[in-house]
Amino acid sequence: MPDDELLSTHLQELRRGTAVLACLLVLREPNYGYALLDLLDRRGFAVDANTLYPLLRRLEKQGLLTSDWNTDESRPRKFYRTSPDGERLADALSRDWDGLDTAFRALRGES
Amino acid sequence: MTSTADLTERYVDATLRRLPTRLRPDVERELRASIADAVDAHVDGGADPAAAERAALDALGDPVRLAAGYADRPLHLVGPAYYLDYRRLLTVLLATVTPIAAAVVGFVGVRRGEPVADVLLGALGAAATTGGHIALWTTAVFALIERVPALRRAPSRGWAPEQLPELPGRRAKHAELVASTAALVLGVSLVLLSPTTSTVTDGDGDPIGPLSPWLWDTRFVHLFTALLVVALGLVYARHYARWSSPVAVAAALVDVTCAVALVWLVANDRVLNPAFVAAAGWSGGLVRAIEICLCALAATTVLHAVGGAAARTRR
Repeated sequence: MPDDELLSTHLQELRRGTAVLACLLVLREPNYGYALLDLLDRRGFAVDANTLYPLLRRLEKQGLLTSDWNTDESRPRKFYRTSPDGERLADALSRDWDGLDTAFRALRGES
Repeated sequence: MTSTADLTERYVDATLRRLPTRLRPDVERELRASIADAVDAHVDGGADPAAAERAALDALGDPVRLAAGYADRPLHLVGPAYYLDYRRLLTVLLATVTPIAAAVVGFVGVRRGEPVADVLLGALGAAATTGGHIALWTTAVFALIERVPALRRAPSRGWAPEQLPELPGRRAKHAELVASTAALVLGVSLVLLSPTTSTVTDGDGDPIGPLSPWLWDTRFVHLFTALLVVALGLVYARHYARWSSPVAVAAALVDVTCAVALVWLVANDRVLNPAFVAAAGWSGGLVRAIEICLCALAATTVLHAVGGAAARTRR
């Protein structure tokens, strides 16, 4: 077993970018910052808050997410939702992920 | 209780302070809601409000890092895209300009008959000052390129081995950039140093600068230096940013302006200091030769600028 620091470095490298796909998939249902963080965590994607919040804005700037302020409740919240462009990117990324998964299985001899 | 309320205020303030004004209202609203949601979640989990707030802010991490994420700012001075160019340019400038500056100051000291220790100290001081300036300004320029998206090279659309530049051409292009920078830094340093470091002194032992005092009295020398710096900036724009027709025309105009200014100075006898020529005992022929060289330099610059701009805009 490699030491913890080495393991966490490599895990971080491997997971880099998965947060984008997870967000695009989860946000087909509109959601806001903290609830999204919580939801991703429960679904097995541990993303740091200080990574997720700027990431949402970056994806919005790139036109992959749209946003709306919901001021119906006492605490106004910014709801994000995957845009049609975001959907297309999510499809492409998902295909790539599946391709990688198949390739890894083949490498491990599971065919 | 007040101290915990302070923590959120301080956190939000520390984050917003580092953001461009246009982002602030929206980020502030969203960030406050996110912190409040996180605090509520911790309180629901059984934590007391103070501990909940601490935990919420702790999870958000350093506000400087968070603000850099919001503003899409790099957390490094010069990133991998430019680091090699940065190091190459810095090395060349330090290896060429610094020893030359030290040698010139040392040479002037020897000619003035200063003690060896003073000459050495003067040369070392000049080397340290020049090196410090070179390092500071080179780093500042590259850090700026890293931070201003408009200065960054446009992302290339795909790449094929056929697109590899020709070897000598590429070397020449990079060499041109380095040579232009080294020549400008060296030339400007020598011109600006010339009134105080001269091989010739007057009766009181004060140095007589080789260049006409008119240049300093009218601040013409500073204007000329500024023009040269702009010209160099445009050479960098050609190398690192998108090279568009307006930039090409601007570069040609600046080059031609410099050349015309140089010819005008020569024609009006405003380059050399007559007192220096007399004190150094230079012949009229030598002065004439210097003037012809300067005019030839100006003519070459004009030809190069016009030819280069025409070739660029045609492409």
